[in-house]
Amino acid sequence: MRLNYYQIKKNILRARKLVVKATTLAGSGHPGGSFSMAEILGCLFSKHLKFDPQNPQWEDRDRLVLSKGHAAPGLFSNMAVVGYFQESELDTLRKFGSRLQGHPDLKCPGVEFCGGSLGTGLSYSVGIALAAKLDSKDYHVYTIIGDGESDEGQIWEAAMTAAKYKVDNLTAFLDRNFIQQDSYTEQVMPLDEKLEGDDISEMWKDASRWKTGDKWRSFGWNVIEIAGHRVEQIDAAITKANTTKGVPTMIISRTVKGKSIEHMEDNPEWHGKAPDSDVVPIINLELDSQFMIAPSIIAGDMTHLENEIKRCISGRANYIHLDVMDGQFVPNKTFDHTKIKELRPLTIIPFDSHLMINEPVKHVRDYIDAGSDIITVHAEVTDEFSFGEIHDLLKQNQVSVGFAINPDTELPEWSYKFLPTIDQLIVMSVVPGKSGQKYIEGTHAKMARLNSVLKEHHFSGYIEADGGVNLENIGSIFADGARVFVGGGAIIGQQDVRIAIRDFRDMVLKSRRRILLDKAYEIGGIDLVNKWIGLHVVGEKQEQIKKIAQEAGYI
Amino acid sequence: MTDMRSEYSKSLIQVGKENLNVVVLGADTTNSLKTSAFGKEFPDRFFNVGIAEANLVTISAGLAFSGKIPFASTYAIFLPGRAVDQIRNNIAYPSPSNKKGLNVKLISSHGGLTVGPDGGSHQQIEDIAIMRVIPNFRVFIPSDTVAVSKLTQLMAKEYGPFYMRMARSKTPLIHSESQDFQIGKGITLRDGSDCTIVACGITVRMALEAAESLQLEGISCRVLDMFSIKPIDNEILEKAARETGCIVTAEEHNIIGGMGSAVAESVSESYPVPIKRIGAQDMFGESARDNEVPLLLEKHGITSFNIAKQVKEIRSKKL
Repeated sequence: MRLNYYQIKKNILRARKLVVKATTLAGSGHPGGSFSMAEILGCLFSKHLKFDPQNPQWEDRDRLVLSKGHAAPGLFSNMAVVGYFQESELDTLRKFGSRLQGHPDLKCPGVEFCGGSLGTGLSYSVGIALAAKLDSKDYHVYTIIGDGESDEGQIWEAAMTAAKYKVDNLTAFLDRNFIQQDSYTEQVMPLDEKLEGDDISEMWKDASRWKTGDKWRSFGWNVIEIAGHRVEQIDAAITKANTTKGVPTMIISRTVKGKSIEHMEDNPEWHGKAPDSDVVPIINLELDSQFMIAPSIIAGDMTHLENEIKRCISGRANYIHLDVMDGQFVPNKTFDHTKIKELRPLTIIPFDSHLMINEPVKHVRDYIDAGSDIITVHAEVTDEFSFGEIHDLLKQNQVSVGFAINPDTELPEWSYKFLPTIDQLIVMSVVPGKSGQKYIEGTHAKMARLNSVLKEHHFSGYIEADGGVNLENIGSIFADGARVFVGGGAIIGQQDVRIAIRDFRDMVLKSRRRILLDKAYEIGGIDLVNKWIGLHVVGEKQEQIKKIAQEAGYI
Repeated sequence: MTDMRSEYSKSLIQVGKENLNVVVLGADTTNSLKTSAFGKEFPDRFFNVGIAEANLVTISAGLAFSGKIPFASTYAIFLPGRAVDQIRNNIAYPSPSNKKGLNVKLISSHGGLTVGPDGGSHQQIEDIAIMRVIPNFRVFIPSDTVAVSKLTQLMAKEYGPFYMRMARSKTPLIHSESQDFQIGKGITLRDGSDCTIVACGITVRMALEAAESLQLEGISCRVLDMFSIKPIDNEILEKAARETGCIVTAEEHNIIGGMGSAVAESVSESYPVPIKRIGAQDMFGESARDNEVPLLLEKHGITSFNIAKQVKEIRSKKL
């Protein structure tokens, strides 16, 4: 079973949008903490939890305990996404007569714990885990605690008890977002070290200052520390936790409060406040505008691809683009599935295998087995039947389905019926076959044409721009609708991959900020533009956005 | 004289044999409460969570949520007195489909003033008020070992959260082995027509002694063992009010919010008559060696002599 990367991402996005909608309608609630744990919950619900929405009391189900109960909108949204109830029921959140209480409640079938009073969920989970052992059941208990919540002494009582009774069927996540109700955790009650001043960014980056992991290790827990918004890291941590015997596992997940909505990120104000309804369309557009950077390693040293993989890791690439060329579909030859299999153990970063080969239907199995997380095949060498076969095989194996078209190829009509379930569409902006080519300018117009077709046929995947993407054009390519950017020479060809990727991100961010300002102006004129700018209070954001607004002539 | 904790321990082992889902939890008081005997008999079903009462309560909730029947016990002062949030939010509040609360039994020993030498810090005189006010909880105070045994068995069979408070000191037998105990049903230990004395726990014996001495003066007292404080027996209280016209209550608990308050609440809604509440007079206890405990009780008026005195006084206030 592979990662099913895009499906998880899509579910997380849906859940985030539901949190925005529900808290806005309720006029209160806790979006910040719902978003910091969004990827954790998404990964659990989409891949690891055993459950049956039709039979919430199924006795062999895994148990999910949301100890940081104020993040209830995040839990309810995920439950709606996986079918416990209609998404529309989220409109009743926090309202009289609703099953969706302000904090998770057994009133709602599928909820396992009445959260709210902090610090108790871990003890409760120990109780469930002990019961599972007594009954020789192999279900697993997953618990999410907050970092603010870790001020509570009972967390540490539970920590000792879990270690004493060796409840290895318990895996806890610490949603380490560094913010609690009053302020930053390291000001209110430090878990790592006392924060001087107001800037948590340095502490967040400097792993040598994190001591929370040591605390849990000293309490006898198996500790795994991850970046809590990286789906593949969460996935790998859960897998590792589930195979660790004799001790409970704590997955310390470094997260960002309010993640994915810039003005909420790292802002204590958004601990427990709902967005105003007038900014919701802008927020939704922002959520739709997440992007990923995928370096293409063939632009590097082909004789030392292992080293290129390591550079991608250090650059924190979202995933790694692997151009497979067979010397027939394209003139060049790169590598095949055997090389991918060799590279696979080097990293858990998703492998985005782009098959530029003839008759992909004959080979796709090999690329699944080699460990690809996303596999893209070309329209030019597939038809309705062979693509259908590939599509189904990938879905069965939880590999994301990619479909690619060359610069001269229009989206074939036979592919329309697959659009709702295709995860990734690669729109080639160079003629495939070798790296180092220039972006074909006509691609902008092609993207405009494509967007209406994609919309009409309910495409819900991500568009990947591949070929000639660089710092100068990435902003406009993003504005065209691309959300994944393959970087060849412009990333892998650079001395420092980390800086190159960061620069890519900054350029996309700038373009995104402009698009959001345009949206604000479109729906609410200059007042909404000003309101939107005013929401961004943390760090340098406001000044930067103001500058973009000035350039656009809004202010 | 018999010992409630020994009886509780024996009863636990019995219900543990009958029902494999019964589990027992303690918080470093398992030798004192004698629950460690259960642990010897059923080591897998016994958990000592250390001096961590919040943890004790919430782990019990998790076990109950997963189908177990936890009996969690420690001293009264550390249970309602310390972990009321966990008791409320982890046991009483969570209500799985059509049920009320989780199936946890909280059992305390060392309730009230008779804790003795440990002093006021350890004399829990607020637990009944605390537990009574929490929805879904039912509250018992047994007066002897027969009650302890029968109520332990009853709680193991009956779904839902219960609180039962035992006394530290040895107690005389009040009930016969054949006595039936039902939730929400008081027990008439002695009939009478001039006044009703309502008691629970250690004051039941005092009430009987008071009634006996009043009998010699020609005053006929009814005595009720109100072991079930919540739900309270409204029927038996209304009948007592109608038939005897006045009521004296006695308990080793603050007079505010305790059994006496529960009786007053009930009677004032059904058939109001004069009521006198005997108990800790809204003040804390203090150290008293075992042989001085009667002095401590006397200071708060919790004696058979004072019960008799109050009966005589309240009769003059009859409507």
